[in-house]
Amino acid sequence: MVDTAAPREPLTRTESGPLAVRLRRAGELTREVLRNPTTLMGLIVIVTLISLAFLAPLLTEPNRPDAYQMPRDWGATNAPPGTPGHLLGTTSTGGDVLYGVLWGARTSLRMSLIVVGVTMTVGTIMGSIAGFIGGKVDEFIMRIVDVLLAIPELIFALAIAAVLGPSFANIIFALSVVFWVKYARIIRGQIIHVKHNEYVDSARVIGDSKLNIYRKDVLPNSVTPVVVQATLDMGNIVLVGATLSFIGLAEAGLAEWGVLVSEGQAGISSGRWWASTFPGAMVFLWALAFNLLGDGLRDVLDPRTGGR
Amino acid sequence: MTTLRDDTVATPAKVGNEPVITLRGVEKYFPVREGVFQQVVGHVRAVDNVSFEIPRGQTVGLVGESGCGKTTLGRCIAGLTDATGGGIYFRLSVADRQFLDQVDAIPQEQRTQEQRDRVERLERAHRIDRLKGDAWRTYRRNCQFVFQDAFSSLNPRQLVKDIVGRPLKVYKEASGPGLTERVVGLLESVGLGRQHLYRYPHEFSGGQRQRISIARALALDPEFIVLDEPTSALDVSVQSQILNLLHELQQERGLTYLFITHDLGVVRLMSDDIVVMYLGEVMEHATSEELFASPRHPYTDALLAANPDLLSDGDEDTEMRGLEGTLPDPARPPRGCRFHTRCPVATPRCGWEVDDAVAWLLDNATVLDGLSGVERATDFDSVLRFGDEAAAGEAASLLESSDVPASMRTAMVELGTDGAQLRIRFEEVDAVRLEDVGGGHTTSCILHTSQSAGS
Ligand SMILES: Nc1ncnc2c1ncn2[C@@H]1O[C@H](COP(=O)(O)OP(=O)(O)OP(=O)(O)O)[C@@H](O)[C@H]1O
Ligand code: SF4
Ligand SMILES: [Mg+2]
Repeated sequence: MVDTAAPREPLTRTESGPLAVRLRRAGELTREVLRNPTTLMGLIVIVTLISLAFLAPLLTEPNRPDAYQMPRDWGATNAPPGTPGHLLGTTSTGGDVLYGVLWGARTSLRMSLIVVGVTMTVGTIMGSIAGFIGGKVDEFIMRIVDVLLAIPELIFALAIAAVLGPSFANIIFALSVVFWVKYARIIRGQIIHVKHNEYVDSARVIGDSKLNIYRKDVLPNSVTPVVVQATLDMGNIVLVGATLSFIGLAEAGLAEWGVLVSEGQAGISSGRWWASTFPGAMVFLWALAFNLLGDGLRDVLDPRTGGR
Repeated sequence: MTTLRDDTVATPAKVGNEPVITLRGVEKYFPVREGVFQQVVGHVRAVDNVSFEIPRGQTVGLVGESGCGKTTLGRCIAGLTDATGGGIYFRLSVADRQFLDQVDAIPQEQRTQEQRDRVERLERAHRIDRLKGDAWRTYRRNCQFVFQDAFSSLNPRQLVKDIVGRPLKVYKEASGPGLTERVVGLLESVGLGRQHLYRYPHEFSGGQRQRISIARALALDPEFIVLDEPTSALDVSVQSQILNLLHELQQERGLTYLFITHDLGVVRLMSDDIVVMYLGEVMEHATSEELFASPRHPYTDALLAANPDLLSDGDEDTEMRGLEGTLPDPARPPRGCRFHTRCPVATPRCGWEVDDAVAWLLDNATVLDGLSGVERATDFDSVLRFGDEAAAGEAASLLESSDVPASMRTAMVELGTDGAQLRIRFEEVDAVRLEDVGGGHTTSCILHTSQSAGS
């Protein structure tokens, strides 16, 4: 390394402003992530599923008054796939499987976005308080986190949802209670590690405030693993959520994959495989795709595995 | 930018060479915790009773081996951590310092009200851990720090412009295009330029990164900068460029430096005064010429010997040549002179103690397998308990043999067995003090001062 050597890139970039630089960096990272074929595949599946969720009102006639309730065609129960008007067949109660699959994607997207949004925020706040302030506060928060982490996610969410009574809103609430703890632990660990960096001392020595140090130095250098965890959770939440609705903790008739699988399972023994299989496959695809993307992101972003 | 040097803290001395920073008996002890309940079982004495002044416009070099407390002292001075004892003063005049020293020598109850009031006034105006409000802000912006590791001292998520401009933002000195221009000016003053504004730290080499750190430290036009091994992580060729830059900046801006390093060659180039530290204590303090021309401390001699460039041509592997043995545990520093465990010219009066005898036995004998306990009356007087009489006897005869360093043997005034017990008593000595050996050259070695009474 010679001090006077030209920087890695030629001087063509001298005039580029801060926004351009940040965009270029984002572009570089994206390209690096997508170099891995399984990650790319995950991303393609995710984009497809989310497009389906967005296009659902165009591809199907929304049910009235509530589009998230399955429409019932009592004239065509148990129709096999390929039936005109019921491309993927119908359930024993005349629910259109295609409708359930498409609007189920919407339900899943809503559920996972809400739960990830809430848990990531709560977890980041709790973990930040614990890690940045430390001492007794840290101990108190981390005791709670340790206890909650000791209970398997599914069992814990099941217990809460069961106590609150069967409704989809309660499932979302239960998932939110369960899923924040991991973020708290991740962020706390990161912050404890990051706050000993000399750039934090550099900020203290120029006299910047604690809040600014948290905002500019500590948090931005601590969040990458949270992004990875959030991606993984986008998948996990749908999996756990579908499991809870499968065992009857959501309202019957909801356009939700777990509900549909449960409704269709009675017909499997009589050869009516479609009512369960299509929504089941959707849950599988959804969870798999986000896990592939999450793993790919981790490889590139997570400092502990050698990335950036 | 001249307005930055405001006088809210105290009247800065107009006389050249009044100190910017004054250290009086500074201590930093880190608690050592152990066990499930994390009880404090002792203290690492990272910095112990350190006193010296850093005169305006000059560079004081702070040298010593790794782990001797240089960084800790620098961090205390910069206010990054609080000293646990003593005082660090900003812009305290020599006269005022002398007054504080005089009052310190008077027992509490004999001090007059007037003296107490003046001490209180001085401490409130100058002692950094007692500065408040504007006075603290003035100190904060006038005392900056350049870290050793230019990789970890720059936030990897910030652009150079945000890093270097940040101090200006904190003190609301500039914003918008004005800020950008100020940052460009700072970058140019460290040999970088406008084209580097919108880059991330990882796009730069080590030397360039250190330049960015320096630009940030200069942003508030400070009076004083702690430079903690600013070049030790760099290639030799880059090192000299950075040293030149620091030197030029000092000339241009009248900066005062505390230059921390373990490299005597570098410190010689840079410093007016040199402070040699060992295990948290100052061993020797002199002007640069004095120290290299006539070192008055065996530890300094050893450092010089380890640095062949400074002497006549030396041989190849010279890592700490002349410095044998390992650094003692700073939680239990040696008694007497802290350097006595490694000093090649140690005398019987240098502070030999029971730990030294035990350490020697550990290195030289197998009898210690049978050692079951040490009962300390004092550090100088203990009973070692062995498994059987034979082991105790063997240890005793070993300690009497001529294999034991003569100075240690002489210091051992009592050595006797009683069954399986071995009593060892050394001559008790006081801690060594720094003494002036002429012209402000101070050393703590008893061979060079008047402390060397007896034996
Ligand atoms: N935060 C801390 N807690 C406990 N002990 C510490 C802490 N910081 C430093 N020490 C101890 O204080 C002593 C002095 O450390 P310091 O980093 O000041 O040494 P140094 O002279 O700067 O060494 P180097 O040349 O390796 O940078 C060491 O024994 C170190 O282990
Ligand atoms: S006092 Fe001097 S001679 Fe004695 S151990 Fe210390 S440095 Fe060596
Ligand atoms: Mg250090």
